[in-house]
Amino acid sequence: MNNSKDISEELIETVERYLNKSMDKTELQDFEKKLEDSNFRTLVNDIKEIILGIETYELKEQLNEFHKEIDAKPKTYITSKLRFLHLKRIAVAAVLIISLGSLWYFTSNTNTRLYNKYFTPDPGLPTTMSSTSNFDFYDAMVNYKHGDYNVAISKWKTLAEKKPNNDTLNYFLGAAYLAIKKETQAIPFLEKTVQSKTDFYLKNDAYYYLGLAYLKEGNVELAIKYLELSKKEVSTEILSKLKK
Amino acid sequence: MGDSNNKIQFTEHLIAQIKKNNSATLKELYILNYPKIENFVLKNNGNKAQAKDLFQEAFIVFWKNIKEDKFTVQNNSNLNGYLYTISKNKWMDYLRSSSYKKTVNDSTVIEFNTTDEHLTDNDDDILKEKRLENIMLAFKDLGEPCKSLLKMFYYEKKSLSYIAEVINVKENTIRNKKYRCMNTLRNMVLASKKN
Repeated sequence: MNNSKDISEELIETVERYLNKSMDKTELQDFEKKLEDSNFRTLVNDIKEIILGIETYELKEQLNEFHKEIDAKPKTYITSKLRFLHLKRIAVAAVLIISLGSLWYFTSNTNTRLYNKYFTPDPGLPTTMSSTSNFDFYDAMVNYKHGDYNVAISKWKTLAEKKPNNDTLNYFLGAAYLAIKKETQAIPFLEKTVQSKTDFYLKNDAYYYLGLAYLKEGNVELAIKYLELSKKEVSTEILSKLKK
Repeated sequence: MGDSNNKIQFTEHLIAQIKKNNSATLKELYILNYPKIENFVLKNNGNKAQAKDLFQEAFIVFWKNIKEDKFTVQNNSNLNGYLYTISKNKWMDYLRSSSYKKTVNDSTVIEFNTTDEHLTDNDDDILKEKRLENIMLAFKDLGEPCKSLLKMFYYEKKSLSYIAEVINVKENTIRNKKYRCMNTLRNMVLASKKN
């Protein structure tokens, strides 16, 4: 199977170590001595150029992604202004959270107590792949399972831009938002999942989490509607408590 | 003194991040510096599309020079200024080039002096550019999963053990796969050269 033209694995890894500067002194000296041979040098330069080519290609792709943001909001790049606005927004948000928080504490009702009792984040999918075309999706799944929900969300969101109607993506975006207690953001993704006409294998779970999200939001009517649609045992349990 | 030390430390930190292709750092540099370049190009006989192309080309030169340690904190502590200079000189080169002069009257071209030696093209650089173009074209056509795998390893600088965890296979399998992908890519590049 090995093509005679192929370069050896060892050589590729040696060049990698050279580029990463992870060679020890002896290896570096040996390597640099070998480089004096022009045939060896050509091979090494070939590998270096290929790696540079891969990196440059990917960088170009990324630069185009960055540029989309500039086209989208032409005025926000004045960073000092931006930071100031952020500070202001954070301050306002903090006041809101504190006041809402205390309000919530005092009026803590059955809905939130029920929610807190029953909500646990979706455990996620096993990261086995039949085909590697979903590489990016599963890469984010690893983050999700490690509890890095924000990282997972940002990666999935990029994917969702290209595939806005992918049920699995929308479902896990919803699940990740719920896990970081952002029910309001979770709801549109879960709504999309349950409205999808295709037979989605996590549809019952989607109904269940959507019901819980509405419960947390205080919308009991919709909470009941979706919990009833989800054919899960635990939903019946919550429903019986809700209707008391 | 302490202040300038901090500045140097910060620049060194940025350089390290750029070398790792840290996307947050690259994005910040891009978003922060693009408006200045666009402004400059628009004021000097260019349009927005040209500004974008120019800035992206300059950004790649900037990134490559940093990778190859051509930029040192000792001779310059300002990365943003460096990126601006590269972009500006590139635009001046373009305005002075024959392809531009063909389209406009000479009198409208403003003369600038460029001193950056990294930017002067010679035959060797042009050949190198051509080879790099070939590699990128081949990589573009490289199928999956090779493309994703090489991207994660060489661009995102993820370790083999991390990639192995993501795809749930043994590290050695990935190592072997990566090796075979590299040779596939190399043979594609070699084949394209013969045409």
